[in-house]
Amino acid sequence: MTARIRKRTGQFFRMRRFKTQVKSVTHTSSTILGEAVARATPVPIASRIRGLSDRSMAWLFITPAIALLLAVNIFPLIWAIYLSFTNFRANRPNAALENVGLSNYSRVLNDPNIWQAMQTTAHFVFWTILLQTLIGFSLAYLIDRKFRGHAFWTTIILVPMMLSPAVVGNFWRFLYQPQIGLFNHIVSFLTGIPPSSFEMLGSVRLSPWAIIIVDTWMWTPYVMLICLAGLRSIPDYIYEAAEVDRASLWRQFWSITLPMALPFIMLAVLFRGIENFKMFDMVTLLTGGGPGSTTEVASITLKREAFESWRTGRASAFAIILFVAVFGLANIYVKALNKVKQR
Amino acid sequence: MSSINTAHSVVEPSRTSKRIAATIVIAYAVITMIPLAWIVLTSFKSPPDSISYPPKIVFQPTLEGYCNLFTTRTRQTSDYIASLGAPTSTCDEITRSRNMVIAGPSNYWPRFQNSLVIAFGSTFLAVSLGTLAAYGFSRFKVPLAEDLLFFILSTRMMPPIAVAIPIYLMYRQLGLSDTALGMILLYTAVNVSLAVWLLKGFIDEIPREYEEAAMIDGYTRMQAFFKVVLPQATTGIAATAIFCLIFAWNEYAFAVLLTSGAAQTAPPFIPTIIGEGGQDWPAVAAGTTIFVVPILVFTILLRKQLLRGITFGAVRK
Amino acid sequence: MTAQPPVPSKQKRPFFLRRGPMENIATGLIGLGFLMLFQPFLLIFYTWSLVTLLAGTLMFIIVSKFPE
Repeated sequence: MTARIRKRTGQFFRMRRFKTQVKSVTHTSSTILGEAVARATPVPIASRIRGLSDRSMAWLFITPAIALLLAVNIFPLIWAIYLSFTNFRANRPNAALENVGLSNYSRVLNDPNIWQAMQTTAHFVFWTILLQTLIGFSLAYLIDRKFRGHAFWTTIILVPMMLSPAVVGNFWRFLYQPQIGLFNHIVSFLTGIPPSSFEMLGSVRLSPWAIIIVDTWMWTPYVMLICLAGLRSIPDYIYEAAEVDRASLWRQFWSITLPMALPFIMLAVLFRGIENFKMFDMVTLLTGGGPGSTTEVASITLKREAFESWRTGRASAFAIILFVAVFGLANIYVKALNKVKQR
Repeated sequence: MSSINTAHSVVEPSRTSKRIAATIVIAYAVITMIPLAWIVLTSFKSPPDSISYPPKIVFQPTLEGYCNLFTTRTRQTSDYIASLGAPTSTCDEITRSRNMVIAGPSNYWPRFQNSLVIAFGSTFLAVSLGTLAAYGFSRFKVPLAEDLLFFILSTRMMPPIAVAIPIYLMYRQLGLSDTALGMILLYTAVNVSLAVWLLKGFIDEIPREYEEAAMIDGYTRMQAFFKVVLPQATTGIAATAIFCLIFAWNEYAFAVLLTSGAAQTAPPFIPTIIGEGGQDWPAVAAGTTIFVVPILVFTILLRKQLLRGITFGAVRK
Repeated sequence: MTAQPPVPSKQKRPFFLRRGPMENIATGLIGLGFLMLFQPFLLIFYTWSLVTLLAGTLMFIIVSKFPE
């Protein structure tokens, strides 16, 4: 039985080989060398070389990864889209499922609390990106002076971004303690304000800045690394030419350095934008959205809707809204990625 | 790129500017290290020292944090403790000096093991699938290749909580919630996108002529892949694997929503470590230190590939 | 301003069928969607931000298939 199948498949493959061979007379997709060898050698070897453009072979390599992504990412996504049109509640899986049309979306998009969460997210995204870009680019510019030991210090600076945001957030909670925390004592040492006179995590005014400080500490190295790549991609001869033209350093910076590094800066900004837009872990552990809801960013609101209020349908609609926003940014990000790739 | 760096080169920064740059960068590096240094310091403090006002920089180092991290303790009367024999270990001794006895191991080590199993399992799967797919995209004409690659990348960009809602329901149906297998599958899916993009860059750099020569010598496509391409791509595969490992190691959102006990990893567990009367900061710090040290080692190993990793292989320097 | 070459050798496609300018418009639309999502002034803008984002994203996907 198996032998027969093997024989059949053998025939099948021989047929395919024949077909591809016929095709290759008109198509010249492989290299010149391959083509020349292919014409001169008997069928089996020739087909192996032309196998380079073999479709079934390509699918064999790609399908497992795609299948996994379809099962674990796309199928759930479609399910979420379906749920977003229903009144499903995950804590009552046996309740009658009702189609509610677009009302989940209209509720989410008219809910002042969720709108407020979006503004909190916006504040967080805006300030983290601004600070990270300013500090990150300045650091990259300084490291590009190539002083002795710059490689070592760069590695040291990069460490925070490799850590777990959750574990880091949890530990910064300790650093921010008003009585015993190091942060308050350092601030008091520098400014003279008594260390227990302010609470970074407990005050409505300061807590948004507490999460911004931690995120900036953690992700400035990311922006710095990409900016450094941008600065290093500028060829020396451009500066040499500018020097010949007696352009001042100031002028060189604004008309050479910055414009040429801009695609890289954009890349870093877009990626940080996407990541901070969906920020969850670090903020959860630092403030949990509090005090009140002053640091309740979008993902935390979503988590509360989905896993505390159990309004799964409405949470799904909110999730789809966040997803659409991120997906739009991701399109722009890939465009920026391709722009940088050409350099 | 081939310009010669001589002392009078116009693009070589001056000595003073180098010195200023070095000062600022080193100052930043030192400041950025303070929180990390504080974690390590705190892990060697005794609980009273860790919450002293003002914070203590000089203190008597002790292993109490590490002992508390790995054990659960119960308070006993001093008579009972005196009736016990001589302490069997350092931890035993430290615990008894606090009028407590070790009741048993804590959950930290099982959670740490979960982290290891899930991180390594998902990394292995993601890198295997990723290498195959990357080779496919690199060497064959795949219809709609650009769109497929974008689709693959976009799955990584999805907000974790948005994905977690349907995954939670799906896993509940399939009996995968709070299992290591479920977490491995999930992390593999998130990591496979990074693996495909990174490895495609690495495989693109291996000349096709190597495989073509091998295939003229009678290798099949598969043999050429395993015996020619894979050995050439070892560095890339190793770097990719470390990136996947770090992601799975650090992940929190999925872990906290989809696991609660048996398959819980270390990140959701560490914040829940509490002692008597509030958070036991030395134990938390000890847990954090043990959790973070592997990452430090990997960062140093990866420093040349970091840029590639964070830009999905687009920037190669 | 130098004199333009009188007749281009190749017929140029109108801008709404070329990738470059249309992609920029789609990017602008997505950016506008984000501003609407994030602004603290009018609830109505927030309400319609999803539609804007969706339109921008769909447009981006479609026009990225256009030739340069």
